[in-house]
Amino acid sequence: MSSTIPPSGSGELVSLELRNIVQEYPMPAGESAGSKSDRIRVVDDVSVKFDRPGIVMLLGPSGCGKSTLLRMMGGVRPMGVKTPTSGEVFIDGVLSTEAHDDVVMVFQRYANRPDLSARDNIAFPFRLKLWRRKVSREDAKARVDAMIESVGLGAHADLRPAQLSGGQNQRVALARALVLRPRILLMDEPFGALDAQTREEMQRLLSDLYRSQPCLIVFVTHDVTEALVLGDRVIVLSGQPARIADDFEISEPRPRSSAWQRSSETQALEERILATLHGAGGSRGQVRVTV
Amino acid sequence: MTIVWNPYEPITPRARRTLGAASVLVVLVAWAIVSALSLVAKAKLPSPVDVLSAFLRLAWDAQQGESLLFTATIWSVARVAAAGLLVVVIGVPLGVLMGASPRINAALSPLVDPFRSAPIVAVLPILVMWLGIGEGMKVTFLFLGAVVYLVPMVRDALQAVPSTYWIGAHDLGATPWEAVRHAVLPIAMPRIADAIIVAISVMWTYITVAEYVNAQEGLGQLIQNARRFSAMDQVFVGIFVIIALALVTYGTMTAMKKRLFPWELT
Repeated sequence: MSSTIPPSGSGELVSLELRNIVQEYPMPAGESAGSKSDRIRVVDDVSVKFDRPGIVMLLGPSGCGKSTLLRMMGGVRPMGVKTPTSGEVFIDGVLSTEAHDDVVMVFQRYANRPDLSARDNIAFPFRLKLWRRKVSREDAKARVDAMIESVGLGAHADLRPAQLSGGQNQRVALARALVLRPRILLMDEPFGALDAQTREEMQRLLSDLYRSQPCLIVFVTHDVTEALVLGDRVIVLSGQPARIADDFEISEPRPRSSAWQRSSETQALEERILATLHGAGGSRGQVRVTV
Repeated sequence: MTIVWNPYEPITPRARRTLGAASVLVVLVAWAIVSALSLVAKAKLPSPVDVLSAFLRLAWDAQQGESLLFTATIWSVARVAAAGLLVVVIGVPLGVLMGASPRINAALSPLVDPFRSAPIVAVLPILVMWLGIGEGMKVTFLFLGAVVYLVPMVRDALQAVPSTYWIGAHDLGATPWEAVRHAVLPIAMPRIADAIIVAISVMWTYITVAEYVNAQEGLGQLIQNARRFSAMDQVFVGIFVIIALALVTYGTMTAMKKRLFPWELT
């Protein structure tokens, strides 16, 4: 898919750092009986730094605390729980405790407004005071038009979410995030609910969009294959409580061919990830390997 | 073979209309038979024909040159409309505030929720003492009867919107109120419309009670007067007209809802 997005802000310097992050939640009622503590630790002393544009895959078994970490980076704090319990998040070296203008999230449940067309959903941020102040009406319209073409929704721009497929809805959500040209894009298992073919299409699309609009993408997944197909860097988290169990880079340029995916190098990486996850212990969730 | 006990069985509009009309017809025929055989005294159960002729008399009194039924209907409709407007103007914003803010909800819930199961009719004597027996009392009574249903339903409509919408808007830089206004409220609107439809429908069930006190005009007064003179045929007319008005109100509002929120159906 060709992209028409002007590479504004491409490759800008960016820095996102998690320092000694610990997250605990109150134990659900009924589960604390017999336990020494009434709190459950979901993230245990995670420190990691991302200091350049690229796609970073946060890989771990389902329920291990990946999304908790991602939401923390996005400044999304659950109500009534101190987040993080201890530790700090820095963006560009500045302590971040709130939602940040340069950070945008994409969720598995697309959060598209059912009453708006695809176009209006993509333009949604420009209804908000913050973005109306930052982006002129003309610029906003130009960005939305370009983004609709970039994500391949030109023929579907006037349809509502209920008239779109899951993949098309996720394209809308992705476009809504990218139309703001964020320096940091946080993606919380965005393709997890899609079928295998659509997931592959979306992975290709993300890869294309990244090439035209490079930024730091932190992508949460429990799919080992997805991590290897998309990631410049893969951080493997252990089962709950999440700790960094492995952290490596992949230098193979995208798009990664199926020959590369079948290569011994990739097989070795896959085995390394699975061995890490099995060796890390404490895993209650599962990872997926797409054959 | 037709499977009767399948809740997902599609039914054509024609079949639905036929079955509905048939059941009404069965009741009418049973009623006609019971009254024709004088199984129940005429003073207690007038025949369908008696009710029809009472309806025609009330619809146009040639001697007086007026329509008692039309005048009574206008009064009742005006009272329901005035109370309905108040219910929407006051109840919807209150419900939205409670749904959007757990703190406001915690503060107001104890004042609102218990009244859902409270006997609102029992409040009538208090309203008479406080507000007298005029229009203010009648409209206030209708308002209270409906608003106690509306407010919790509007609150629940907001709380039923998945949190992803709020989180997503917040992440995009929306202020808390912008997140409610642009992300949560629009999605809750069809359910809020349902709540308004229920609240207005509830008012038709209370209209006779409201108009019993100081009965001078309205369908409640018409029924009250007819009962006083044992004119059961006119009592039936009053009841049927109220049911018809409630059905028309419900049908109109449901059609409006479908027009305003077509996306709910797609």
